[in-house]
Amino acid sequence: MAYPYRHEKETRILSEHFGDPAARTLAGWQERGGYAALRKALEMDRDAVIDVVKESGLRGRGGAGFPTGVKWSFMPKDDGKPHYLLVNADESEPGAFKDRELIRWTPHQLIEGALIAAYAIRAQHVYIYIRGEFFEPAQILGRAIEEAYAAGLIGQDILGSGVGIDMTLHLGAGAYICGEETGLMNSLEGRRGQPRIKPPFPAAVGAFGMPTTINNVETICSVPHIIRNGAEWYRSFGTEKSPGTKLFNVSGHVVRRGNFEFPLGFNLKELIYDVCGGIRDGRELKAVIPGGSSVPILSADEIDIAMDYESVARAGSMLGTASVIVIDDSVNIVTPVRRMVEFYAHESCGQCTPCREGTEWLAKILRRIEAGRGTEEDLDTLLEVGANMTGTTICVLSDSAAAPVASSIQKFRDDYLALIRPEARKDARLAAV
Amino acid sequence: MSRETKTKLSKNPGWAGETGDFGHLTEEDVRGTGYVGVRPPEGSHPATAGTYPFMRAEKDPEAPLFEGPYRERLEKILSRYPTKQAALLPALALAQEIRGHISPDAMEEIARVLELSPAYVRGVATFYTMYNKAPVGTYLIQVCTNVCCNICGAEDVLQAFLDATGLEQGETSADGRFTVVQAECLGACGFPTVVQINERYFENVTPEDVPAILTSLGAPQPGANGAAAPATDAEQE
Repeated sequence: MAYPYRHEKETRILSEHFGDPAARTLAGWQERGGYAALRKALEMDRDAVIDVVKESGLRGRGGAGFPTGVKWSFMPKDDGKPHYLLVNADESEPGAFKDRELIRWTPHQLIEGALIAAYAIRAQHVYIYIRGEFFEPAQILGRAIEEAYAAGLIGQDILGSGVGIDMTLHLGAGAYICGEETGLMNSLEGRRGQPRIKPPFPAAVGAFGMPTTINNVETICSVPHIIRNGAEWYRSFGTEKSPGTKLFNVSGHVVRRGNFEFPLGFNLKELIYDVCGGIRDGRELKAVIPGGSSVPILSADEIDIAMDYESVARAGSMLGTASVIVIDDSVNIVTPVRRMVEFYAHESCGQCTPCREGTEWLAKILRRIEAGRGTEEDLDTLLEVGANMTGTTICVLSDSAAAPVASSIQKFRDDYLALIRPEARKDARLAAV
Repeated sequence: MSRETKTKLSKNPGWAGETGDFGHLTEEDVRGTGYVGVRPPEGSHPATAGTYPFMRAEKDPEAPLFEGPYRERLEKILSRYPTKQAALLPALALAQEIRGHISPDAMEEIARVLELSPAYVRGVATFYTMYNKAPVGTYLIQVCTNVCCNICGAEDVLQAFLDATGLEQGETSADGRFTVVQAECLGACGFPTVVQINERYFENVTPEDVPAILTSLGAPQPGANGAAAPATDAEQE
């Protein structure tokens, strides 16, 4: 029952209760088996919980795909310091709209997962950092946290186990970069959300200088299911290296936009043409961005691929957040690329010169091309600026801005040339010489 | 109001106009307003005291900050962090919730309360786009024009709001009711075009929906949570 459409081929685990308002409440969640996993985890050794998640092969759903259990195992054991779990609910990657649905339909799924994770990594306090614009989901999640406190599911003696975990909901204020894990930590501490240089890594020196783990909402929501049903069960979905299910959030020019849940490895072409009903208004597919605005663009003939971390990487892009943006042939690719680059220029935190300056340069050149004042040399300049922005900064926002520019010039050069007057083309100039 | 507009009002403003396979759900089912209930000004549990909507129709630029129930809420916020500085974002949000924007005076007061320098507070406040450094209209209309909305016609929706209000981007109407701006991705990409008006999302908005949405906003209702007002207006008409 994904949302707002469903499809018979789906494997609904995380999204099973989307569109069911009764599942939001604590009573409704418990009737549906909620908090059984928390009870089970509290009876297990903390390290055994980490081991199950490790064995399940669960990988971070926020974009990077790092193995979650391995990340948890980096947390120190008996250091006597406060530990923190930060849940990254700062969903703001253009194309991504999965965490919002998880939060507004199943807030207790997130709370239960966060409590299990906090128990495993020996965290006494969970901060859920939710983007400021999500006022409505935040009120729902807030209400759920209050219910859980009142029922003794959060607090100093959870379910009589003697385990103490607090949870605080923290609202952002409109800054994409706070979704970067060290930017998020700075923002939580009451600073500008500028990313930090790593090392030190958060597991050593994180929020408030203490050992910290940061996980995405969808990652955390997967945890109760793994604890309840076991690692082997989880591995029965997906591929060897990319186990489990994932929400595919599809936007753009498809007939049925929305969230659909499938095992990793589901075919992208099948997703677009079968599950999402193909392209709107009888148009033809032009391009697909498979993992949110930060990943390289695929052309229409490159989409017959499995949607798992490895396969999408082999196709020259990234699975990212599995936020699939579908673009039809009515669009000149320069327009969405320009709009994405303007976004990165707006959201650059300004720390690193290649990003602060480069994103603006790319935006200016793309606007010039779109306005019909570009030259073919501009394409070389775009590629050169983009190359200088890649791998040269503290975080990957800069790389993200350069990725769609490079891939679009490589795959859709004709779209650029269509906006460049014939006399501004290289071949025209060569002919003149 | 015509029947056609009325139908649209009950369907579109508030949530997905394109209901997909979930047309049986009510607006309250989708938005969870009944579940959330009323949020008391002094806060309920400290865990959520710092997360109230801070873009609202009701605002009083002259109101004192951090007095009475708001002081109580600030204390609850402070109890949740190991440092006072960490309460800065929630404190800025609280100030904006009360006054509608955060003036240099408000920043100085926040600095005093949290034992920070005014320059530091200003440096943080100006980093985040949701903190209004100047007054905005009763209704701050933010139209997402980022890629997923853009390719589905967001520029036309933005233009429709500007035309209907007679405003330029960023300008506030003479009667103080509206400010219209374009926004970066609002995280609801499956429902283009997404428009945030104060604390509330309007999904699947087309240029044709704009007049009805503006009508539905109505006059701000003193003391009420702005989120509840539009639905009530729509039902009454």
